Amino acid sequence: MDPYRSGSSSSCAGKAPDQIDGLLAAAGYRVRSSELRNVAQRLERLETVMVNAPSEISHLADEVVLHNPSDLASWVDSLLSELNQPVPVPDLSDLTYAQPLDPTVNTGAWMEHHAAEQHREIPQVLTAVEEDSCIQLVHVLMTCAGSVQRGEFSLARALIDEMQGLLTRVNNRCGIGKVAGYFIDALSRRLFSPQGSGLIGSAYENEILYHHFYEASPYLKFAHFTANQAILEAFDGHDCVHVIDFNLMQGLQWPALIQALALRPGGPPLLRLTGIGPPSSDGRDSLREIGLRLAELAHSVNVQFAFRGVAASRLEDVKPWMLQVGPKEAVAINFIMQLHRLLVSDPTRGSPIEAVLGWIRNLNPKVMTVVEQEANHNQPEFLDRFTEALHYYSTTFDSLETCSTQPDKALAEIYIQREICNIVCCEGLARVERHEPLAKWQSRLRGAGFKPLHLGSNAFKQASMLLTLFSAEGYCVEEDGGCLTLGWHSRPLIAASAWQAIPEPNPPLGLVDPYNNVV
Amino acid sequence: MPRYDYESRPFPTLWSNLLTPPPPFHAMTSKNHIRPWLGFSTSKALGNFGDANYMEQLLVHCATAIETNDATLVQQILWVLNNIAAPDGDSNQRLTCGFLRALVTRAARSGTCKVLMTTAANLAIATHKFSIIELAGFVDLTPWHRFGFTAANAAILDAVEGFPVVHIVDLSLNHCMQIPTLIDSIANRLEGPPLVRLTVAGLTEDVPPMLDLSYEELGTKLVNFAKSRNVTMEFRVIPSSSSDGFSTFIEQIKIQNLLHSMNREALVINSHMMLHYIPEETLLSSPNASYRTIFLEAVRSLDPTIMVLVDEDADFTSRNLVLRLRAAFNYLWIPYDTVDTFLPRGSEQRKWYEADLCWRIENVVAAEGAQRVERLEPKGRWVQRMWSAGFRRVGFNEEGVGEVRSMLDKHAAGWGLKREEEDLVLTWKGHNVVFATVWTEKQDEAWLGTAYI
Repeated sequence: MDPYRSGSSSSCAGKAPDQIDGLLAAAGYRVRSSELRNVAQRLERLETVMVNAPSEISHLADEVVLHNPSDLASWVDSLLSELNQPVPVPDLSDLTYAQPLDPTVNTGAWMEHHAAEQHREIPQVLTAVEEDSCIQLVHVLMTCAGSVQRGEFSLARALIDEMQGLLTRVNNRCGIGKVAGYFIDALSRRLFSPQGSGLIGSAYENEILYHHFYEASPYLKFAHFTANQAILEAFDGHDCVHVIDFNLMQGLQWPALIQALALRPGGPPLLRLTGIGPPSSDGRDSLREIGLRLAELAHSVNVQFAFRGVAASRLEDVKPWMLQVGPKEAVAINFIMQLHRLLVSDPTRGSPIEAVLGWIRNLNPKVMTVVEQEANHNQPEFLDRFTEALHYYSTTFDSLETCSTQPDKALAEIYIQREICNIVCCEGLARVERHEPLAKWQSRLRGAGFKPLHLGSNAFKQASMLLTLFSAEGYCVEEDGGCLTLGWHSRPLIAASAWQAIPEPNPPLGLVDPYNNVV
Repeated sequence: MPRYDYESRPFPTLWSNLLTPPPPFHAMTSKNHIRPWLGFSTSKALGNFGDANYMEQLLVHCATAIETNDATLVQQILWVLNNIAAPDGDSNQRLTCGFLRALVTRAARSGTCKVLMTTAANLAIATHKFSIIELAGFVDLTPWHRFGFTAANAAILDAVEGFPVVHIVDLSLNHCMQIPTLIDSIANRLEGPPLVRLTVAGLTEDVPPMLDLSYEELGTKLVNFAKSRNVTMEFRVIPSSSSDGFSTFIEQIKIQNLLHSMNREALVINSHMMLHYIPEETLLSSPNASYRTIFLEAVRSLDPTIMVLVDEDADFTSRNLVLRLRAAFNYLWIPYDTVDTFLPRGSEQRKWYEADLCWRIENVVAAEGAQRVERLEPKGRWVQRMWSAGFRRVGFNEEGVGEVRSMLDKHAAGWGLKREEEDLVLTWKGHNVVFATVWTEKQDEAWLGTAYI
């Protein structure tokens, strides 16, 4: 998906005026021979401007002084070959931009896609100037990210300023303008406040944002009722059941499950719920509050219910003994947009994911539900992550345009903004939004000793029905080898799957109790 | 070149372009924003109907959420309902399933929801087209209709004694299923059979049960049957629409009466479960007389010898969806409950029967305006209407009551018979199901037609 990879070069011989120039083509540019003179003139102007620059861009001249001045031409050349366009100094705004050779991933097509989205959803028409500016914006975003990756921070900062200028020419209430705004913001934070690790709110703030994201879009609802369907079916026939929720939040997932268990044929089971969440800083015990309200609901529908809260700042701090799983209980483990946080790895301690999956496996849960963002935001190279996130969150923002209630929509966008910031601004232990695609999770979980549970036609039918009835047109549910995905138009954004532990083929020599202690 | 100082200059354009800037966090209280959960009220005593009570509450909450466009709550409740209301479960579950489908249909029709073709196709109810034999068999399986037939036949026989010509005007849902038994009793009367003229209102709207043959063909069969009993019968069908209150139908009857006014003719108005399709006051924009009132007054003006009014004892007329849903849920549990006693699980016939029930549930819950035709009113209101239209009650004789009782004895133990003043009421486990009333003209009073308000 590297937009900078150039295609095959065209022939160098026999330059007819309409033919593409071979030298520039090798660098990824389609420039007609007839326009070469034009391009050369522009480059001369660029040189002049940069050398005799007024104070706003004089720092670029400062940079240049570090190099041998006679290398200016080659420096401009290298700029041209690495970037998709010249530095967008206002004088050159009338230059026809060279398009990269690779047609599959290019911002032009992407622009069309997004423009089409806008026409469908919002009756706004991009003017030619706006469309141009949008293309520029995206180009510069990629350029800036590339320079960040290479450690060229001065250039990156200059590009940020440039993009802010471009933003004023673009409609940033919707579409590319809005998304670009958030990504520019994230890059700014990365460059200008490296001490800060993205946007961190209090647990209370996070709950508010989560709640509005829940209301504004179907993603979390889909996650909840798909996971609940798997849990309900796995609990069939069991009288003592225990759900372990790795991110209780406001417990929005559980009232529906409690009610469905209350009225299941044969009567409700004894239900235990263990809710894991971050500790509250303001003295409120929010886990306990949620637990009490869930208990009230369960009581009102005659379901025997017990709740335990586990406050942990990091998921890997949770240990099996804290969960107090009973021997006869049917256990369900629930990870809604959480499992990826365990991919944060500390060189001194290794990857927590294996340890956690290991003790979960020993609990032998009847079902483990995993819902994750369907994206590859954990790639080692910053630019790859950035590009992927730009695509992913553009699609997400597109889908959010269909929400008409405020402040749900505004706060949902901030919720997403925080994810973006984490992916773009943070590194190391602070970068927790380590989304990986379903295929990777599948091989990882298989490797950890789990086998997939087919989500079943019931889950698919329910998801389809509920979404087609109550969400805007454009969302689609798809079934993918026993897993369900929810996406916007043809792009899956969320993937839900269910898993069961494979019993150990060679039991260890000593007896091991569910807490991984050798007895 | 000044470095961009994020801390002191927050990125301006993002916030200034939001349509309504969100309130600052400290101004939001969790109470305002955390959704209150659905609990069930524990004030109602949970008897045998504990589960049904919960299901009813879920349906009510769902209906309210649909009316208030609360998409999140609707989705949550529908998810629960889908899991607890199996279409092949016990009678409560099947009842709830019928209501669930109707609510989904209603939601699909409301402005905020969009329906894909596949979803619409899945929701379409396939009602069965009965043959005469199938329908006759059905009618015999349960007292639901036989009760009204038996009671009506006894009263009619009584009233037409001595008349050489009997004109039966049949406004019944069941496509003349009563007629063969009526003809049998008339054929056997002591003074010999009269000439029978049978005029039938063929309802142009498609309401279940649907018949797979035309009324003309049906009429031919009935005339032949009468002939086999030595009864000469003339048959006539008048296509009628409930949407104009059967007014063309009444006009035709008037014309017929004029033509035959020289004969001594008994006019019998025999209506079973059909009059509730005539729109009443809640479908009017003006508070003037409804079609229902106009119809009854028009019937009165025909000077009938006897009018039989049999219908289901429930109130489906509320404009309020939740009240209507409750009323329908608390009545239609009865046919789901009774079906276990006369049709085996999984049988084709049970499917047909319940498909017709689902059609009715959908009509009550998902249809509005003129499309909503299932406008049941309870006995008390019909009695008031008849009185206002100039009719007075006639009781049932003991023989008739006895016949009804012995008919009921042939069916399951839950069926019962109640006498309320001069009326008969069919009950199931003590609950009112169908009422049967008989009327004749109020003669002695100076009668002024009263508009029912």
